Amino acid sequence: MTLSAYLVVSGILFLLGIFGALTRRNIIGILMSVELMFNAANLNLAAFNRFLHPGGVAGQCLALFIITIAAAEVVVGLALVLAINRNTDTVYVEEFNLLKG
Amino acid sequence: MVFQQIVFYSLAALTVLSALAVVTMRNTVHSALSLGLCLGGVAGLFAMLGADFLFAGQIMVYVGGIALLVMFVVMLLGRASDLHLRQVNSQWLAALLVCAIAGAGLWRVAMLPPAAAAPGAAMPTTLRLGQLMMGDYAVPFELVSLLLTAGLLGAVFFSELGKEK
Repeated sequence: MTLSAYLVVSGILFLLGIFGALTRRNIIGILMSVELMFNAANLNLAAFNRFLHPGGVAGQCLALFIITIAAAEVVVGLALVLAINRNTDTVYVEEFNLLKG
Repeated sequence: MVFQQIVFYSLAALTVLSALAVVTMRNTVHSALSLGLCLGGVAGLFAMLGADFLFAGQIMVYVGGIALLVMFVVMLLGRASDLHLRQVNSQWLAALLVCAIAGAGLWRVAMLPPAAAAPGAAMPTTLRLGQLMMGDYAVPFELVSLLLTAGLLGAVFFSELGKEK
C-alpha cells in the first residue's frame, strides 16, 4: 500500500471528526468526534514514520504521547460532563448558557 | 500483495463506515459502540503499518479504556426521550462546507507523495520505543506521568463537584 492511501483514510477520519464536532448537539457526541480526530492524527504519524523514516520510531513515540494525553483529556472531560449534567440537567450544548448571565 | 490490499481496504472501510456511524447515529449508545469499532479498525491499520506497540496500546487504552468510559457516561446520562430528539444542530450545511474545503486541501496534500510501497520489512519497535522513552524523551515521559496524575485528581475533583446539592 502507498502512503497516499493511508493519508486519504486518515483525512476522511479527520473530516468526519470535524463534521461531528460541529454538528452534534450532545456533548458526549462532540467528545467522541474529538477522539476520531486524535486517531486520524495518530494514523498519520504512524504512516509517515513507516514510509518516510522506516529506521526510526520517533513518530510512533509521539503517537504514544498523544494516546496518553487523549486518555487524560477524556477522563477529565467526562468528569466535567457529569458535573455539568448535575447542575443543568441536560447534555445538549445549546442549553449550557450559565455564563451568559 | 493482493492479500495485503484486501486487508487494507477492509480495515479502511470498517474504520470509515463506523466513524460515519459515530457522527450520524441518533442513538448515542449506538454511536459509542461504533466508536469502539472505529478505534479497533485504526488499531488494525497500525498493525499493517508495522507499529506493534502502538497497536497494543491502541487496543488497551482506546478500545478497552476510552470507549468503555464513554459507554459508561452515555448510559449514566442517557434518557429514553433522547431517542425522539434531533441529535444534530441546524448548522450542518455550514459544517459540510467547512469539511468540503478542508477535504479539498487534504486531498491535494495526500496526492503529493510518490506512489511507492513501504521500504523494507517492518521491524519490531518495542525495544527501540523503550530506549527512546528512557533516553531522548525522558523529560516528556515524566511530564506525561505528571499529567496523568493531574488528570486522575481532576476527574475525582470534578465528579465530586456539586454533589452536596
